[in-house]
Amino acid sequence: MRSDEVRPWLALAARLLLGGVLVVAGALKVPDPAAAVRAVRAYRLLPEGLVGPVAFGLPALEVVVGLALLAGVLVRASAVAAAVLMVVFLVGIGSAWARGLQIDCGCFGGGGQVDAGQTAYPAEVARDTALLLVALALARWPHSRLALAHRLEPATP
Amino acid sequence: MSTSSKKETARRRIAAKREAEAAQRAAEQRRRRTILGGSIAAAVVVIAVVVAIVVQTARTSTAADAAVPSGTVADGNGYTFAVGPDDAPVTVDLYEDYQCPNCRDFEDAAGSTLEDLVTAGTVRIVYHGMAFLDSSRNDDYSTRALNAAAVVASTSGTDVLERFHDLLYANQPDEATGSGLTDDQLISYAEQAGASAEAVESGIRDQVYGGWVERATDQASKDGVTGTPTVFVDGTTLTDLSADGLSAAVAAATS
Repeated sequence: MRSDEVRPWLALAARLLLGGVLVVAGALKVPDPAAAVRAVRAYRLLPEGLVGPVAFGLPALEVVVGLALLAGVLVRASAVAAAVLMVVFLVGIGSAWARGLQIDCGCFGGGGQVDAGQTAYPAEVARDTALLLVALALARWPHSRLALAHRLEPATP
Repeated sequence: MSTSSKKETARRRIAAKREAEAAQRAAEQRRRRTILGGSIAAAVVVIAVVVAIVVQTARTSTAADAAVPSGTVADGNGYTFAVGPDDAPVTVDLYEDYQCPNCRDFEDAAGSTLEDLVTAGTVRIVYHGMAFLDSSRNDDYSTRALNAAAVVASTSGTDVLERFHDLLYANQPDEATGSGLTDDQLISYAEQAGASAEAVESGIRDQVYGGWVERATDQASKDGVTGTPTVFVDGTTLTDLSADGLSAAVAAATS
């Protein structure tokens, strides 16, 4: 198989992985909004007035970007947005780690409270770094198979 | 040059011009489509985020007139109950969730030491309740237990609360597999601690302080507490949660 035949399938895999993770991570934060607030507050990065909007808005953003990636619309823009989200998460987790906070990242709901010695910063950083690289690769080569955008408009050369 | 070849050149020129115009139109159309798609996407993102913020803010806001138990103390912005003499030289702030197994471990290890220090007049305990381990399996036990504690303290005083608190930890259901204590069990432990069943029953069954419990949990997070148990001895975090660790920290605070 030639590489220009394989690449769209790899892009599809990247879309499904990144989109799936974002939708699940965002959706898990919806049922317990009070826990989402505590998880964001636990980072001690934001003034109290911004904690709620970020705790409620960020999951919505994750879900929207994730759905766009799964469906395959505006793939390049969505991949860039996903990369930006990963950078934001990495900055948050990295700063919590650097400051020695004993928190769970709250990446998939819950968050905030964690027993001393049960933090998982290396794994969290590794996961988000890997997803960041996938997002960047997808932004570079966004052309993928089974993308809804192809059905909405004629293929452009 | 013959007439026919002149015509041929003119025709080609016209065809090339039309092709260029068509390409320009197509580019214009693509540009418009990109702008339209981008605008729709931006609108979807803004609407989704705004709706999420509005809905979730409404879901987390507790009623302004939510019932507040009596007998709370000013420490921790009113979401606390205190046991022990007001003029005790050392204050121990306890942040606990009734469903938290590490809190039970702390109570098992250091609970009696702490109570001896209260009896000796050395320590005043300030109980900060938290309820963040609710689940459908335990029927929101964290919230029900903290609400019950507030009902007991409010109706029967903090000495009864202290015994109720100890009973709930001694009989804590498993966090992972348990289904929480039932309301009937909470009422019977309240009675065992010294409250009258009639006084606490409706408050426990109706979760009369449910809104207060939510705010207390939020307050603990605002206090910077991110895990339970969190113990402060005169404001300093206790890292060694054993009986000896507690005694040493209290001794250091009094010296």
